[in-house]
Amino acid sequence: MSTPVLWILLPLAISGLGLFFTRYPRILKWSGSGFGLILALSAAGLPINEPFRLLFWEMIISDQLLVYGRRFILSRVDQPIVVLLFGVYFFWSLIQNPKNTPSYFSPLSLGGITLILTAYAVDPIYYGALFFAFFALIHVVLLTPPGSEPTPGVLRLLIYQILGMLFILFAAWLASWVGFNLGDEFMLSRSLSILALGFSFLLSIFPFISWIPMVAERNHPFVSGYLFNVYFLGIFLFGSRFLTEGGWFSQGIDLQAPLQLAGALMLVMGGVLAIFSKNLGRMSAALIISEIGRSLLAISLFRLGFPLYFAMVMVQTLALGGWSSALTTLEEGLPDLEVHSATGAARRWPLISSGLVVSYFTLAGLPLLAGFPIYLALGIGLNPYPGWVNNILVLGSLGLIIGGLRAFSVLIEDPGEEVDLELGERFNKGVIIALNLILLLLGLFPQVVYRMAQTITDMMMGS
Amino acid sequence: MAQLLESIIAVSLFICGSAIILTPGRRWMISLLAVQYVGVFLLVSFSWPLEIAVVKLVAGWMAAAVLFLASSDDPASGGKKHMTASIPGIFFMGFASLLIGLSMYSLMPLALRWFLGASPQQVLGGVWLLGLGTLQLGFSRQDLRIIIGLLTVVSGFEILYATLEASVLMTGLLALLNIGLAFVGAYLQTVSNLEESL
Repeated sequence: MSTPVLWILLPLAISGLGLFFTRYPRILKWSGSGFGLILALSAAGLPINEPFRLLFWEMIISDQLLVYGRRFILSRVDQPIVVLLFGVYFFWSLIQNPKNTPSYFSPLSLGGITLILTAYAVDPIYYGALFFAFFALIHVVLLTPPGSEPTPGVLRLLIYQILGMLFILFAAWLASWVGFNLGDEFMLSRSLSILALGFSFLLSIFPFISWIPMVAERNHPFVSGYLFNVYFLGIFLFGSRFLTEGGWFSQGIDLQAPLQLAGALMLVMGGVLAIFSKNLGRMSAALIISEIGRSLLAISLFRLGFPLYFAMVMVQTLALGGWSSALTTLEEGLPDLEVHSATGAARRWPLISSGLVVSYFTLAGLPLLAGFPIYLALGIGLNPYPGWVNNILVLGSLGLIIGGLRAFSVLIEDPGEEVDLELGERFNKGVIIALNLILLLLGLFPQVVYRMAQTITDMMMGS
Repeated sequence: MAQLLESIIAVSLFICGSAIILTPGRRWMISLLAVQYVGVFLLVSFSWPLEIAVVKLVAGWMAAAVLFLASSDDPASGGKKHMTASIPGIFFMGFASLLIGLSMYSLMPLALRWFLGASPQQVLGGVWLLGLGTLQLGFSRQDLRIIIGLLTVVSGFEILYATLEASVLMTGLLALLNIGLAFVGAYLQTVSNLEESL
């Protein structure tokens, strides 16, 4: 037995098996949640490469699997990442309502998580780009439920993923060539440019961001919220491992300035999109674009920024979960997700609207909510760098807040007509209340998130 | 003799790739894609042992077969549906393909500096497919054309990458990607006719 078998092959097989039970979405939801929890707990407590007793048997779980001469490694330092990924899967499985999400959400999302883990585990790491192409294939199916037409955003996601994969594979080969021919500045700069292009496609950095608002506007809110959360987490994990294991840091290349420039650009794009958006789906796109920007800024701080990044991921998961649940429920009572169609929604359905407001402003960085202390810490961490980076961090948040205030002011307007429509089951309302409370409490006690994020970083770095 | 054969294959790939862009019929497009994979296999076989290179052909033909079957099963098309095409549109796309061909040909000396183990014909065949696939992706919003465009881009990349690395796992994964893309293409062609699950 090895960790890749336990955390990659087994979940992949379960995911495939789950596709035969799509007629029973409730069973899939609960079994998926339970399985996610078991996998997360196993990653938290299982000793690797050490003998231990399981009932009557003495076992050793090795940390690698050899497939056609290539290794898949999930060692002790990777355990927090496994916990994080299966924890995120458990969370999304738990909050999904089987009545208003596609029936194959649980199995396909488990397959997606497994592919991220495969991309993270493979050695050499550049093979991981291929697994993100498979990830995109799965999510094209997930975003296009039976009876609907594929949206342009979904097709564009697929195109960008495939192109990004090709660029990364080629850049990795060029980099290995440079490794044998040290001092070849021409080839080094070329391989870096191609690598940057590949990651721009994968991370949807400007000008490749167009699929995010397109998917957010036209696709299922819950599924797109899940995709944004998990996909970008996977790419950031893959990217950070790619840079550290591929020896890109050891080449003496300054990566901080380009990362900060890309981060600032994304924050500007997110802020501007929030201000001009007239669609609630596109508002979530603005949030996620800004989150990519902040994540890039956090990663640019390297060792200091990793705890901030993981803290952001935790808050982002909770907030996007709340936002997606609330928006999916609200969509049932509205003709479309245009802001003007939601006039008076907060008067008709105050609880569901509160889910939108709390989640949105958490990710916008409003004080007293869970996002603010982390973004503040990020700003403090960016202090030694040029002032424009911090200014854009603040302006980006301001853009999101202005856009949110503009959109949500419509929600509290008098609709002028009485609509007697009960929205949301008790389950949905419970999820929204619970997530609102958690986001408010984490705003008051941010040390809880930060301590967890610091633990993940310490374990990852092996200290 | 071998060089002449390689040149003929590379030119055939360009003609095939351009014909895929120009033809409005789904079945013709998919059949041309299957022919294109023969060219890809032949160019790859100059770098790899035949038994590994044949994986490209098998995977490509499987992908084409999956798309062909889905296209035949589509009740909306009755297997005969044509993609939108007009005479000026065909001329425009033909001209664009020609431009791609010429620009890629002019870039070949530079590309040869990057792919040191490749012959000029292999590089030419690879970059032509990359260019024509990208042209298809840039100009089309139809899901079948996008999938075929992606398969063309991946094929071009496979020819070039075969001159750089010969890993069994990579070959298997790229073959799986081709088949996966075809399955997604088949799903997208039929999804609107499937029973709603929500």
